[in-house]
Amino acid sequence: MNTSSAPRLAALGLLLLSVITATAQVDVTSKAKVRVSITPLAGAQGAAATQVLTKDLVRTLLIDPVPASGAGFVVSGTADANGVTGQLTSGGQVLVSKTYSGDWRRATHEFADDITLATTGVAGFATSRVAFISSQTGQKELYVMDIDGANIKQLTQDKTISNGPAWSHNGKMIAYTSYKSGYPDVYLIKLDAGTRTRIAFFPGINSGPSFSPDDSKIALTLSKDGNPEIYVMPVTGGSTDRLTRTRGAETSPSWSNTGDQIVYSSDDRGAPQLFVVPANGGEPSKLSTGSAFNTEPCWSPDGKKIAYTLRQGGFQIGVYDVNERSGKTVSTGSGEDPSWTRNSRHLVYASSGSLYILDSVTKLSMRLENGLKNCTEPAVGQ
Amino acid sequence: MNIASLLKRTATLALILALVAGCSSPKGKGTYSGTGADGALPGSDVLNPNGVNGEGLAPRPDGNFNPDTDVDYETLAAYTVYFDFDSTTIKASERGKLTKVQEWLAANPGKQLFLAGHADKRGTLEYNRGLGERRAQSVRSYLIGLDVSGSILQTISYGMERPAANGDTEAAFAQNRRVQIGVIKTK
Repeated sequence: MNTSSAPRLAALGLLLLSVITATAQVDVTSKAKVRVSITPLAGAQGAAATQVLTKDLVRTLLIDPVPASGAGFVVSGTADANGVTGQLTSGGQVLVSKTYSGDWRRATHEFADDITLATTGVAGFATSRVAFISSQTGQKELYVMDIDGANIKQLTQDKTISNGPAWSHNGKMIAYTSYKSGYPDVYLIKLDAGTRTRIAFFPGINSGPSFSPDDSKIALTLSKDGNPEIYVMPVTGGSTDRLTRTRGAETSPSWSNTGDQIVYSSDDRGAPQLFVVPANGGEPSKLSTGSAFNTEPCWSPDGKKIAYTLRQGGFQIGVYDVNERSGKTVSTGSGEDPSWTRNSRHLVYASSGSLYILDSVTKLSMRLENGLKNCTEPAVGQ
Repeated sequence: MNIASLLKRTATLALILALVAGCSSPKGKGTYSGTGADGALPGSDVLNPNGVNGEGLAPRPDGNFNPDTDVDYETLAAYTVYFDFDSTTIKASERGKLTKVQEWLAANPGKQLFLAGHADKRGTLEYNRGLGERRAQSVRSYLIGLDVSGSILQTISYGMERPAANGDTEAAFAQNRRVQIGVIKTK
């Protein structure tokens, strides 16, 4: 062959190569979504489960359900009172074939998460629960719900100000702040037992609890020594270890996934900035997010990123890359109080009284419908 | 009623109280939260660089005191201290109010104050709770500087959650950046 056709052959080879890999996993860094056909599920709960499943996949912001066409990803299965049996195929290949036993809604969410992983390479989060605050009743109370807005439970009826829920990593406890006593105190709810215990009620403010990775400790803001600072204490209550010492206010601690470090917001230098301090004590260091006014940090489960609220006109969601040491805005519109889902890519945040799911890579977002008004302060259980 | 049903009712009542009241952890070595029985502040540091005259906060009042119902914010309403945006500094124009507060306290011995700090809505929730707290501490610190005893100065922060004025105007924001000078009601 003459020399001019060699580059064209090489280009053709490259194109063929990219098409072959595309069928295994589509590029999900662009906003082009993966097309998945959902054959309506059979069985007594088939119709309902198909709806739940479709919404779960749409909520990933990565998948576009399309009519069945014989080619590409095809979902099928049955759903009844015993659970879901589900299949995902592509071409002739079976990618998922599984029985999910138990409550059909939960089983459907599990199936959706398997489909999401197989078609996009990104872990799904359809089985997650979200704790949040709503003033639906006229007062700020604590609620939990499935991330699709089902199974809403109002956990408090205190007719006071409730704030800032945090899930334990094992999903069994929620810590939060309440003015139930008249003062801002931190309470611990054990979900299985249905108990609530007041664990921090020092003079001043007690707020912003965050669980350590092993759930044995919480970091929180206390002002008992004259100024709002970050402290660590056992989840059962008791003596505290002080981590910060400034003339500013330190708030919103969040643990790293290893439990070695805690990120928080401090306005000691004027506008609030993010700082990281060793969890056992030491010198704090400032994070260069590139934006003024940084609050409400949340460390991702994989430890690689910190989401936070920044002020840029209104409030926006930022993501700081721990390795690259830089931050960027990932919300379009407005947003506050981010909480990561388990995949360290999607997060839930609040905006204008509603909760939203955001893909921090594509910046796509959609509202989480739950029928409650004035929803704030979301916390995603893993 | 017989003993068995009385015991059963007592046990049921205790269970309900435990669930509803949010019982504190038992008092004892290393298991307390909040103030110990003797009023000591567990975990407080001797060295306090935070400009509050080296003092931690006073213990909460004993008994059934509830900030929601047992504070009179009317008597000293004229002396509400207002703050600039994102600031905890007591402006020169506001200091005269605190002199008046000190004089009132001198004329009314036995009274305790409840200083409630607030912020306008332009910050995020926890940040504003901290800001309101620092404003309350700032007023407390200033009064201590006027020779008022820290033990009669209680504080709280409501952040942005109990505004005096609603709306998104500068005027509304300015009304919310405040510390109210409450008087603890004596019973």
